[in-house]
Amino acid sequence: MFAMLEKLAGIPGVSGQEGQVAKEICQLIHGYCDYHIDALGNIIAFKKGQKTPVHKLMLSAHMDEVGLIIVSAEDNGLLKFAPVGGIDKRVFVGKSVMIGQVHGVIGTKALHMKKGDEKEKTPEIDGLYIDIGAKDKEEALSHVNLGDRAVFTSVYTPFGDGFLRGRALDDRAGCVLLIQLIRAQLQYDTWFAFTVQEETGTTGAKTAAYQIAPERAITVETTTACDIPQVKEDKQVCALGKGPVVSFMDKGTVYDMDLYTKAMACAQRNNIPCQAKAGVYGGNESRSVQVAGKGCRVLAVSVPCRYLHTPSCVIKEEDMENTLRLLEALLDEFGA
Amino acid sequence: MDTSTMILELSQATGIVGMEAGAVKTAEKMLEGCGDCSVSALGSLICRVKTAPADKPHIMLTAHIDEIGLVVTYIDEKGFLRVSGCGGIDLGIILAAQVLVHTKQGDLPGVVCTVPPHLQPDDTKLPKVEDICIDVGLSQEQAKQKIALGDRVSFVNKAGRMLNGQVSGKAIDDRGGCTSVILAARELAKCDLDCSLTVMLSTLEEIGSQGAKTAAEEIMPTHAIVVDVAFGHTPDAPRHQCGELGKGAMIGVAPVLDNDMSRQLVETAKKHKIPYQMDVQGGRTGTDSDEVAVCGAGVRTALVSIPQKFMHTPIETVMVSDVEAVGKLMALYIKDIFGGER
Repeated sequence: MFAMLEKLAGIPGVSGQEGQVAKEICQLIHGYCDYHIDALGNIIAFKKGQKTPVHKLMLSAHMDEVGLIIVSAEDNGLLKFAPVGGIDKRVFVGKSVMIGQVHGVIGTKALHMKKGDEKEKTPEIDGLYIDIGAKDKEEALSHVNLGDRAVFTSVYTPFGDGFLRGRALDDRAGCVLLIQLIRAQLQYDTWFAFTVQEETGTTGAKTAAYQIAPERAITVETTTACDIPQVKEDKQVCALGKGPVVSFMDKGTVYDMDLYTKAMACAQRNNIPCQAKAGVYGGNESRSVQVAGKGCRVLAVSVPCRYLHTPSCVIKEEDMENTLRLLEALLDEFGA
Repeated sequence: MDTSTMILELSQATGIVGMEAGAVKTAEKMLEGCGDCSVSALGSLICRVKTAPADKPHIMLTAHIDEIGLVVTYIDEKGFLRVSGCGGIDLGIILAAQVLVHTKQGDLPGVVCTVPPHLQPDDTKLPKVEDICIDVGLSQEQAKQKIALGDRVSFVNKAGRMLNGQVSGKAIDDRGGCTSVILAARELAKCDLDCSLTVMLSTLEEIGSQGAKTAAEEIMPTHAIVVDVAFGHTPDAPRHQCGELGKGAMIGVAPVLDNDMSRQLVETAKKHKIPYQMDVQGGRTGTDSDEVAVCGAGVRTALVSIPQKFMHTPIETVMVSDVEAVGKLMALYIKDIFGGER
């Protein structure tokens, strides 16, 4: 499972350009289910189980990731960019990026030339640029097209006591969990959607849910864990090592209380470590799934993840494993 | 091995201020065949390329081998590390940076913690080095077993090749300079010289040039050429304080630098058509030259710099042709001024 995660997390797939990720996922699920790619690029997959469930069930995870989009080339050969999805403006400087195969860097003048509070101020994104070493606009545009996406380079690595660090774990971790389920034997027929453009408005999930028209849906995500020293315990929301995170409410969705309660009880019954999302923050594509067509009862199950939307997402392996166990149990529970 | 590979290999070696042994080893391998190597009391690498009679001039070529980084100062109850800076850290690069903690038992990966934006009332302010935490994924007990206070932390980044022969990575300040010095040493090792020639790659430059001061004392040259990086222009920087990438070696002029050497370097560049640009400073140079020049009874010292973008970040960028121009300029200068058989 983790070798698959390393591979998937290394493929660039900034919102609107998820094709390479989709291609890899199709290879991984080929022969285990029926699937097709829809008009927006979502993978819609149907896995036949031993029985037909009472309520049509869909699981979704998004394939896209936050990143950068090239918006213009300057006369001096530097590239201006805009963020795609929500990226903390404090993490851009000093990073290198890949625009396809082109290596670029985002830097500012040396700190020795920064005066006074300039040293302690976050540079505005508007003032930043990507330097690929081009001597002028023409040379830059012979290597890069406007609209190309860029991702931060990131060294994927296991570290510490069972932790993983990498880019795009949000939400390739969810994709990997869905793939694991598709490749297993399922008791009930289940629909799966690998969606596009979650980070820019949960766009893919709208059309995926419309087509599948599920009655019950689980969004499989990563969610921000703030279990770090600078954050007080009451604001940490969730923590690594405490199992999957089940949401009752976030900024985008009020989840179905019945599904939430059943999920928490199911975890307890099966001795799976599990935590409630203790704070109303963030959101995910459940908001779109919930209101697609005639509406659908939704639940979100997430792998807790530190430093979300940075080049250095961190998750814990055992949380991935426990999230998979909980999802397996929930498929049986919700099918009956 | 071509020059860009040399730069990147040296860049990837570990040598944070005060713990430069890893990078010294990499450089020593590259100096193989140039002369006998030794390590000074403070860790600087000394390579005796040519030894002439004592009454002849003795030239020292030097660049610093240390790099900026962090030092572990505390391990908290949850196993997160607190750190302090080793050298001047650009606060802009810290958050979510990928790091390696260099311990006795090996390197441990980690991440600089970021507080998510929704819990960060003011995202216009960057945290101070002393306020950041490093996540190494260990409990306090595990962390204390593996990590000692004083262990160094480096920023990691994939080194990269860009267009027009530019390369980027960490520690190119001043491993780019080390590359120029090694290139010159390799060239000069093959020549007959009427002087002594010693290469010295100094430690501790980033916190006060203690390595260069003491190694120069040990070598006691008559002349020295210090190679460092200098600001390469980017649009947000004041033009008059910067050189330009691709425009060649930056020949320094400053009060502490020897005027004759600066002038002769310019003449050498002109004569051999080596690209060069001037780098004039009114006071201290902020490089090892400040210490080398005042060593012992004084050393005639020149400063030649490589223009570099994004100094003190993990994406320091230089142009390979500039690194080569600096190496070539030094080699030809020594051959022309101090060579044998003239």
